[in-house]
Amino acid sequence: MSASPAASRVTPDSSPASAPSTDGRDVTRPVTFWRAARAVFDLSLEGMVWSRRSLLMVALLGGPALLSLAFRILLTRLPPRVGAFDFYGVVVAFYYVRNALPLAALFYATALIADEVEGRTITYLLTRPIQRVSVLAGKFAAYLVTTLALALPAVVITFFLLNTIRGWSGIGAIVPELFRDMGVMVLTLVVYGAFFTLMGVLLRRPVIPGLLFLFVWELLANAPGYLPRFTITAYLRSLIHHRPPDEGLAEIFAQVLPTALCLEAVGAMIVVFLAGAAWIFSQREYVLDQ
Amino acid sequence: MTRSRLVVLGSTVVVAAGAMAALGALYLDPARAAVGPLPPQALSLPAGTRYVMGLDVKRFVASPLYTKYAAARTANRPQAFAELEEKTGLNPERDLDQVYIAGTQAGVPGRGGDALVVVTGRFDRAKVARAIETERKGVTSKNVSGTVVYLFDENSAGKGTGATAFLDDNTLVMGTQASVEQTVVARAKGEAPLRDNAALLALLEGVKPGSTFWMVGDKTLLSNMPKAIPGPGGPGTSQSIELPALKSLTVTGDLEPQVTLDITGEAADEPAAKNLADVVRGFVALASLQANQKPELKQLASAISVTTEASRVHVAARVPYEVIDSLQPKRASSAAPPNAP
Repeated sequence: MSASPAASRVTPDSSPASAPSTDGRDVTRPVTFWRAARAVFDLSLEGMVWSRRSLLMVALLGGPALLSLAFRILLTRLPPRVGAFDFYGVVVAFYYVRNALPLAALFYATALIADEVEGRTITYLLTRPIQRVSVLAGKFAAYLVTTLALALPAVVITFFLLNTIRGWSGIGAIVPELFRDMGVMVLTLVVYGAFFTLMGVLLRRPVIPGLLFLFVWELLANAPGYLPRFTITAYLRSLIHHRPPDEGLAEIFAQVLPTALCLEAVGAMIVVFLAGAAWIFSQREYVLDQ
Repeated sequence: MTRSRLVVLGSTVVVAAGAMAALGALYLDPARAAVGPLPPQALSLPAGTRYVMGLDVKRFVASPLYTKYAAARTANRPQAFAELEEKTGLNPERDLDQVYIAGTQAGVPGRGGDALVVVTGRFDRAKVARAIETERKGVTSKNVSGTVVYLFDENSAGKGTGATAFLDDNTLVMGTQASVEQTVVARAKGEAPLRDNAALLALLEGVKPGSTFWMVGDKTLLSNMPKAIPGPGGPGTSQSIELPALKSLTVTGDLEPQVTLDITGEAADEPAAKNLADVVRGFVALASLQANQKPELKQLASAISVTTEASRVHVAARVPYEVIDSLQPKRASSAAPPNAP
């Protein structure tokens, strides 16, 4: 994307003039937003699901299911130190919501546009008679479907593997937690996805700043006072009921924010990040190296 | 269909199957509670109930705490249980499922004992009834809405010191005469007076599912608690720590694989909650400071975490049995030095 004399420019107004179609379509009108987004979604989904990145994510997001199987087998042989439901709480609150899902969002969402720029294929998208926002919407939807398809089955399998160790009796009482956890996981992927999409359209190399955000800035969630409210993870972890007891700094200062505040804050962040990403993407001029 | 859509479809099928199984477990679970951990028959408790506590007897009996400590240390336990089984056909370890204790007059002077005990399990009704009638003198019975209510020490005015009745084949209720009769009548009419107590129901909904023991109570339950505790200087010093008043208290706990205790107290406002949390943290810190003399206290202190959520204070404790073992007093015989020759 560096400026150079031998570079091609793709500007917001660089869509080619419409020409009569040979197959009878009315090409004088631009393609509608939903139709364009759907087409981009189809194209992006194929590229996302079958990719080396997804192989890594299968291991990252599906790992707890295998770990739960090991826990289930070992529990009958070793004296247990942690209850199955507590372990499930650790998997959801600490592994998924704090680490794995934000990482998945980082690697997928920052690449939504960056990969097209890197592969110099963005020209083919932006020179179509479609709105730029529909490109972003289709790609973001493909990201969501891909990550949810990888994460949700794993958490369902983990839930049943862990909580049926002593039989099915009493599992009805904890079923609401499964649905709540799935909801929180969806919110996690949406809000971090929106944030990293914004970083992806804003920065040329967003992965390192993204990692710093996840593993340095987000530690503020364990700080005292109002500092946790400047992070994303503090809101998300407050939505999980059966989170494990905190340790270290979090043990001393940990706060659980009110549910209504968390939902409002997460909803506002999603809207702001996505609107910001859409606005920047629709305004930005991409200059590709030749 | 493309390969990627096949993957998405496969994932959707797994999630949908899991959701269906979960919903099936939720609605077909025979032990499904009506409100929070309470079974439908417990909703016949009086609307004025101020606190409710429960014990899952099955889980409690199966827990290491019971098998290791309670059962092992009570030498006459088998004999007592054998006698009870002989008289009533009831073996508590085997036949009882849940025990609920509800109080309607907590905090009211002179009415502290107005509690109601509801026991669910499998009873030999005939044998239990005969044991009630013959075991002690002064037991009379009366018919209340088609249910036999046994009264203990009934006076000439028809008032007994206590009462007990079977709500159905699997539910026995004991307590004061007024409370028992009120519950029996509500049950006979198919009413659920406890549903009128919105504040208590809200607390019950917040009980952690599947807990071995739990307790919820409103501010009347807590009205007898001390308002201040001695400061770090100890008794005799002028310093004392003011404890913020609690509006409600929820306690849940499990005993397997470690002792787990979650306490949630609701204070008047956020500053009061933070104040209370700081007091609890102070005590945990004091325990940590004692670690030089008693290293096991350090483990205990690290097992406790305190958090605040708006006006609520959460105290969570996860205590492994090894820590409980280390806190047990050493037996005198093992500590005594061998006799010198």
